[in-house]
Amino acid sequence: MFGIDVNAAAFAPALVLLIVAAMATLWSLFEADGRFMAMLALIGVVMSGLFNVQLLLEGNASGTYLSSFGLKYLADAPAIGFNFVILIGTALAVLIAYDYLGRTDLDHPEYYPLILLSSCGAMVMAAAGDLITLILGLEIMSLAVYVLSAWRQNARESEEAGMKYFLLGAFASAFLIYGIALMYGATGSFSYGSIAAALQADGFSNVFYASLGGMMILAGLGFKVAFAPFHQWAPDVYTGAPTSVTAFMSVVVKAAAFAALLRIASSFFTELPPVLNQVLVVLIVLTLVIGNLGALLQQGLKRMLAYSAVAHAGYLGLAVLAAGTTGTKAAVWYLTAYALMNAGAFAVLSLMTDRNDHGDALERFAGLGRTRPGLAAALSIFLLSLAGIPLLAGFVGKILVFQAAISAGYVGLAVLGILTSIVAVVYYIRPIAYMYFRDSEYKAPEIKSRATSIAIGLAVIGTIGLGIFPGWWYGLINAGKSIMAMAGL
Amino acid sequence: MVPTEYYIALSSIIFVIGAVGVLTRRSAIMVFLSVELMLNAANLALVAFARQWSVAGAATALNGQAAVFIILAIAAAEVAVGLGILVAIFRYRSSTDIDALSEVRL
Repeated sequence: MFGIDVNAAAFAPALVLLIVAAMATLWSLFEADGRFMAMLALIGVVMSGLFNVQLLLEGNASGTYLSSFGLKYLADAPAIGFNFVILIGTALAVLIAYDYLGRTDLDHPEYYPLILLSSCGAMVMAAAGDLITLILGLEIMSLAVYVLSAWRQNARESEEAGMKYFLLGAFASAFLIYGIALMYGATGSFSYGSIAAALQADGFSNVFYASLGGMMILAGLGFKVAFAPFHQWAPDVYTGAPTSVTAFMSVVVKAAAFAALLRIASSFFTELPPVLNQVLVVLIVLTLVIGNLGALLQQGLKRMLAYSAVAHAGYLGLAVLAAGTTGTKAAVWYLTAYALMNAGAFAVLSLMTDRNDHGDALERFAGLGRTRPGLAAALSIFLLSLAGIPLLAGFVGKILVFQAAISAGYVGLAVLGILTSIVAVVYYIRPIAYMYFRDSEYKAPEIKSRATSIAIGLAVIGTIGLGIFPGWWYGLINAGKSIMAMAGL
Repeated sequence: MVPTEYYIALSSIIFVIGAVGVLTRRSAIMVFLSVELMLNAANLALVAFARQWSVAGAATALNGQAAVFIILAIAAAEVAVGLGILVAIFRYRSSTDIDALSEVRL
């Protein structure tokens, strides 16, 4: 019972990030150059990626997956897939920040260690097989992001973003933690497998505590993924935070929170009374409608992308409902595509705004197709992919998610998803129309950044490549099962 | 022995007081304090449940008690980060009134 089960290979990707973050923190005492720190962070991300590739290939070859700390840390197929999403998001965010921070007077060397720590927490969250591991990962991730979103000092929007995110985030984690306490009270365990077993057992009498706990866990995680009506923080925080941080938050935090939600949904959530599932369905319907309608009303690109992030949480919610079958794989695929196209769009945005992140109004994009054709083409590709136009990654992601929802029996929700994605085309096309079919006197700032250009280039290649060859990546993540599935849970 | 339900009732009352505090207080410090109250309510519930589960063996009970320490650590880390952000804001605007934090709008 108290034997120590430590399998470092299982958590090597997260450990590498932690070690590099700790090294970078110490190093920042002597070396104040932010770009040097950025290179260090990129090296950390690449090393972590190599460990993750090895985990994936070994796992797919042998069909068994590693775990550590007595099934509290699982390095199974979904966790490895989410690690890739997290690493893609981190790498793109670091590349965006490389020149952006210096340009906007935000260049402090502590920035990159915080980014790495946050991704480390995200990986722990994605691999958690236990509610305690889940909140540890969640807090490691969130505490770093709270600081990052308040990064711009002496600017109201950023400090407000940080404070708002922090207070609401702490409020939401209090709900999550109380829910976990109630779940422990009902079942006597924190690990997903034992909770599911306890809930299935005959004569289980603590249904009240268990359902209340499940509801509070759902609310806490729903806040992190920005399900409506817990989404109000998202537009403000995404708009107020520096663009490089927004790119990171909208990808990595969302991926980690969905990873946790999917694991809970595929283990013990279905054992709880069906009313909880109905609550989840209502949340997803609200998210799809409010996210898309909210995005329709925006005049600034950054805020529009923030609402679009809420809408995408709704589409991913469809995958959560189907988590027991193909939902998890669909979500990993969707989030890979989403990481590329969303971070890419924010990378373009970071080259368009002034040093206070102002100037993202759609009028400012008029005539961009003529003045900066490369940037305009890249942004068009990202927006079309977010809209779900065929031959781009976003389309395949949506197809996979809708398929998963239909095969799990949620036909009505899938139809609503398709209808709202038609509405979404309107607000994704609008900036493109401005760029190519309108002219303005305003001249966009001539910002050039090689690192950000590399990020945009990689994201374009990824978005088109995944859209044209979707099967390659799906095959890789589809080869393995989750440990939960192997244990029959 | 006091029944577990009594502890849970007390803990849920504390939790609700904390939640109401978060929603109604205007000073960020008080909001913050209310969140701490909610976390401590969770701790009280965990300790009470751990005592109840000691019938299922020492390991089950210890799990719950260990979780309390982890949550204490999490609360401490949250305080450190939150007060840092708060001080940064206070230096800039000399107020911790969160209603003033509403310039970013739909």
